[in-house]
Amino acid sequence: MSYLLNRLFSMVLTLFLISAITFAVTNILPGDVAMMIMGTQSNPEALAGLRESLGLNDPLLVQYGRWIGGMLTGDWGTSLVFKEPIAPLLLQKMTASGLLVLFSMTIALTCAIPLGVWAAVHANRWQDTAASSTAMLGVSLPDFFWGIMLILLFARGLGWLPSSGFVDPADDFGGAVRHALLPSLALGLGLMAHLTRMTRATMTGILNQEFIRVARAKGLNESTVVWRYGLANAVGPVMTVAGLQIGYLFGSIIVIESLFNYTGMGWLTYQALLNRDIPLIQASVFVIAAVVMLSNLIVDLLYAVVDPRIRLS
Amino acid sequence: MRRREFLTTTSALMGGTLLYGVTGPALAQAEPVRGGTLIWGHSETTQNLDMHQTGTASTGRVLQNVHDSIVTVDKDLNVIPNLAESFEQSEDGLTYTFRLRSDVMFHNGEKMTSADVKYSFERCANPDTGAVNFEVFNAVESIETPDDLTVIVTLGEVNAPFLSRLAENGAGVVMPEGSGEEQGNAPVGCGPFRFVRREFGNEVELERFDDYWGGPAYLDKVIAREITEPTVRLTGLRTGELHMINDIPADRIAEIEADGDLQVVSWFPLNWDFVNFNHDFEPFQNPKVREAFDYMIDKEVLLEGALWGQGATTASPSYPTSASYKEELGQRPQDFEKAKALLAEAGYGPNELSVVFKVTTNYPYHVESAQIMLEWFRMAGVDASIEQLTWSDWLSQVWVDKDFQISMMNFFTLWEPDFLYYSLWNTEGAFNYRKISNAQIDELTAKARVTVDPAERAAIYKDVQQVIHDETLDVILWFRNGTIGAQPSVQGLDTIVHPNGSNLQFHKVWLAES
Repeated sequence: MSYLLNRLFSMVLTLFLISAITFAVTNILPGDVAMMIMGTQSNPEALAGLRESLGLNDPLLVQYGRWIGGMLTGDWGTSLVFKEPIAPLLLQKMTASGLLVLFSMTIALTCAIPLGVWAAVHANRWQDTAASSTAMLGVSLPDFFWGIMLILLFARGLGWLPSSGFVDPADDFGGAVRHALLPSLALGLGLMAHLTRMTRATMTGILNQEFIRVARAKGLNESTVVWRYGLANAVGPVMTVAGLQIGYLFGSIIVIESLFNYTGMGWLTYQALLNRDIPLIQASVFVIAAVVMLSNLIVDLLYAVVDPRIRLS
Repeated sequence: MRRREFLTTTSALMGGTLLYGVTGPALAQAEPVRGGTLIWGHSETTQNLDMHQTGTASTGRVLQNVHDSIVTVDKDLNVIPNLAESFEQSEDGLTYTFRLRSDVMFHNGEKMTSADVKYSFERCANPDTGAVNFEVFNAVESIETPDDLTVIVTLGEVNAPFLSRLAENGAGVVMPEGSGEEQGNAPVGCGPFRFVRREFGNEVELERFDDYWGGPAYLDKVIAREITEPTVRLTGLRTGELHMINDIPADRIAEIEADGDLQVVSWFPLNWDFVNFNHDFEPFQNPKVREAFDYMIDKEVLLEGALWGQGATTASPSYPTSASYKEELGQRPQDFEKAKALLAEAGYGPNELSVVFKVTTNYPYHVESAQIMLEWFRMAGVDASIEQLTWSDWLSQVWVDKDFQISMMNFFTLWEPDFLYYSLWNTEGAFNYRKISNAQIDELTAKARVTVDPAERAAIYKDVQQVIHDETLDVILWFRNGTIGAQPSVQGLDTIVHPNGSNLQFHKVWLAES
């Protein structure tokens, strides 16, 4: 319990630091949101008026204090460029990206674990070469390449799945799945390759260990040895990598989001940055950072569940 | 296609100011039918939905269907009645009396009255609103509403462009009294479509407004999917997920035109581009240097290279069929010898002048244009390099700080000549980011502002264009075409483009049974 409290306390501290750094850095960047709103329709007089009405002329500390005060009282503010309340906007984009991350992780793990185990069991034989080459192919080619190929095949060619867009699962669950499937596959392929290599490497090490030889010597059948004794020990490291990927995915799926016009967190953060929309930048970075930290925390807690030798203190 | 060619091939077809070309199959159903949801792949993301506060063409393009302005323009850009069924200007040019239609309903169920007009105008004029077009009302002294259907606007001094500036939604829009706060994310107007919802960055849904004073639209709904990636838009059109898309990338137009299953609508002009000199940068203070750069650019080749010929070169930025368009003004041809001689006269020998071309990646064809021009500058003995800037960096460095030597920009066709010439070339102009200060231009643009006679005004603006060209204040390049790709079932596409060349209106568009 004290471990959990400690971790949560350090999370809050880190998030506070991140928000202060983000605020400072975005204020150093040239240009401001008033300029972005008016674009080439702006003139000095109108710009000055807009800056005043948006509160951009207040001292930076006042602006930051206003933001942090709002966050603490549950008021996430309104996007300056898009005039949308930020909290529901983030919820919607988190749902979109969350769906992608969940699907791609499921696809990746379902394929990667059996493939990695298969490769490790047949280490240095053709099965290993085949699995490793497949994994290598997945890692070497960027996810947008897979995205384009999938669009060509499933949307243009076969016409089975939509090529772009996002549907809210609350409105139409089937539609949401159909729209998320291709981008998830594109993301999942690269991820799968990564996790296959990880599983193979970990399993190869484990299968050469003493306790596995003992298990085999006891006459246990091979599948029990591999799956019950071997894999149980490999789950930890694979889970760590997968957990880190979850946080990473939330912030980095922008390419796939753009390719499929699937506007999620990556897209939103990029738009916020491009437009110098400070409240939106602050909130998006804050949420992504919180997700990364939370997923790490959950992985650490799960560690204790899957491996009873580990005691968290 | 060259402009003249475009004129001869299409004006016979459509007539009017906006020149259309339509290729491809359209389902032959003469009688419009009601119903259906049109899904439009919109090329840009909508921003703040408050018509007063938004400066982006993307948002205006969608809101065109939600709002109406007090007056509007016909296809020849003459100001005509709209929400005001008539208007008159006093002889001294200081008082405008608008008589409003009695049958205009807002989407909230209220009837439009003079109080709504007064509210809308005052909201736009109020600096606290942060309205982009607030300066339109600078000369306004009072707005009176003697009865529910009459609005009298009195100016303190003559402002000839006042009425035509009200023909655009930015300044002339009428919103229900007191609705300002909600306009930003739930706009309410009296246009043919009611705003239903926006899933931010994803789609905007509009629904037919049955009580529209101009008669109900044909379509039940319009869904504008915001798809900024051109290839994703094209794929959506090809797979049939989208009924239509706007802004087909220039390099893909030929391919879509060749596709027997799709319609292509192109019109002229969408916007215009020009090359800018910073008149504060020492070498560009000398008109000979600016002229030399003009001689280095082959405008036809550049149009071909950067825009695949999708437009027409011009030396005048005036709306091509407007009274102030100076057609006889020719562009300077490419002539390196002349360019070198002019540079020598200005005191710059080969490789003695070096310039940095700042260009924004927001317009990929600007980057391509700059790369082509760079080679020409080098061939003329100028040491030139390119700096590519994001949109926000371009706005901050070039537009606001005026920290550049040479750059390039485009504007939508500012068909109101005062808006165009005063804003861009007058020393005091709001859009004069090149620090141009020319006494002749200042005098002419100020004079035009208080000249009420249209013919006289047009003549003044032609003189302005002559000065811009003679002094090479900027290098005007071309007008760019606008394009739409559509399924054969989309009908009424000849009415879709607003006379301003940028906004899309769905009032008379319908879907045929396919």
